[in-house]
Amino acid sequence: MKASKTAAPGRLLTQAAGERQTGALVVGGQPGGTVYLTEGQVTYAESPAAPGVGELLTASGRLAARTWQAALDAGTSHARVGPILLEQGHLTQGELELCVLGATYDAAYFALGPASAPVEFLAGAAHWLGRIVQVDPAAVVREARRRGRLLDEIYPHPQLDTAPVIPVPRPPVERITLTAAQWELLVHADGQRTPADLAQLLGRAGYATIQELRRLAALGLIEPPRVRERAGDGPDLVRPPRVRGTAVDVPRPARLPGDGPTVPIIVGQRPAPASGDPPGAATETGPGYRPPRLARRKPGAKLPKEIAADTTQMHPGTDEVLLKRIRTALKALR
Amino acid sequence: MPGVENCLQEAMAIPGAIGASIVDYTTGFPVAATGAAPNSDHDAAAAGTADVVQAAQSRSLFVSAIPHDLLEDLIITTAGGYHLLRLVQTDFDSRLVLYVWLDRVRGNLAVARRRMQALAEDLVAT
Repeated sequence: MKASKTAAPGRLLTQAAGERQTGALVVGGQPGGTVYLTEGQVTYAESPAAPGVGELLTASGRLAARTWQAALDAGTSHARVGPILLEQGHLTQGELELCVLGATYDAAYFALGPASAPVEFLAGAAHWLGRIVQVDPAAVVREARRRGRLLDEIYPHPQLDTAPVIPVPRPPVERITLTAAQWELLVHADGQRTPADLAQLLGRAGYATIQELRRLAALGLIEPPRVRERAGDGPDLVRPPRVRGTAVDVPRPARLPGDGPTVPIIVGQRPAPASGDPPGAATETGPGYRPPRLARRKPGAKLPKEIAADTTQMHPGTDEVLLKRIRTALKALR
Repeated sequence: MPGVENCLQEAMAIPGAIGASIVDYTTGFPVAATGAAPNSDHDAAAAGTADVVQAAQSRSLFVSAIPHDLLEDLIITTAGGYHLLRLVQTDFDSRLVLYVWLDRVRGNLAVARRRMQALAEDLVAT
């Protein structure tokens, strides 16, 4: 196992493949990824920005989540998840091969795309999917580079690939034509989801998602990257939660005309508080003001005994249950 | 249960077949290829294939407005041969097309088209 260092992931992959190594090339950074080699051939790749075989198969409904989970449980420890799915007849060989090939090239684009990133080679590591396909590493590296160039031909703004997707509030043209994939993306873009989130949500290839988003940006249908850069400089804005429930009228006593003025009229001169007194002291006797039950305490100081006992009686049942649940949840986080 | 290699071998067994490949038409990349390619370049052939499929899918002239009336195949005829492109419909997300290059004299368009339909369906059949 080599220590993590900064290098060109593509070059390191070619080098490891040249030595016919078996293991995993772990690429750090954003989004990063892992490319798996078996005897110098690429057998799988994964990246947070690219849905894996499991996500592709379950998000599309091709496999039930239960079926996929059962195959994972049975095959992960022996790295035979793929062969198990084939043996049990859930997928055809062709389907699985095409799915793995697609997912591999997709993830490899994200893992091998950056010219320089922290990389680490874990010798001997194998992926739990098992060996379904094998691809020439040189072809994978070449294809990853070519895909990067293709994106820049569409719309050369790589910032779009990682930032949250924000559809423009009003299209800049009178009439727009969308492909099915573009429509899906715009419908699900809520201003918070990144391209990677959308790809995972829809079970669509990460690269294909980015490609469509760059096209949408070129059409002026999603916010251009420079607007977001400015927004990023300011404080983090959090969208407030939508107000739930319905408005209720406040009951007021009905007033008859001639009942008197609706606004109370102050007759006498208000006594001005003496300058040394605390602001509450002058009005302490007034009906509108209730003095606090407790004197101001230092932070962390304990409540007086009689009041502390009082509070336990005031909150029976539910609050205690809630507090216990919070305590258990916090313990679980440790 | 045929795999990708097997599918391409069977495509090459179609009378008159010169070359065959499976192309990802979002990227114009040959996922798998066998036999000859126009100008002996599978990569360029795949890029061209992708352009043709995308053109057919994006130009409103060829796009049907009827739901589920999707593009099935494309046939390009030259003096020397046929280029057959058949879309492979997978349940999971993919944009793949089966491409077969056929010799004009030895090949039979109707036979090839039917065989390719069967191949594309068997590849992903359950």
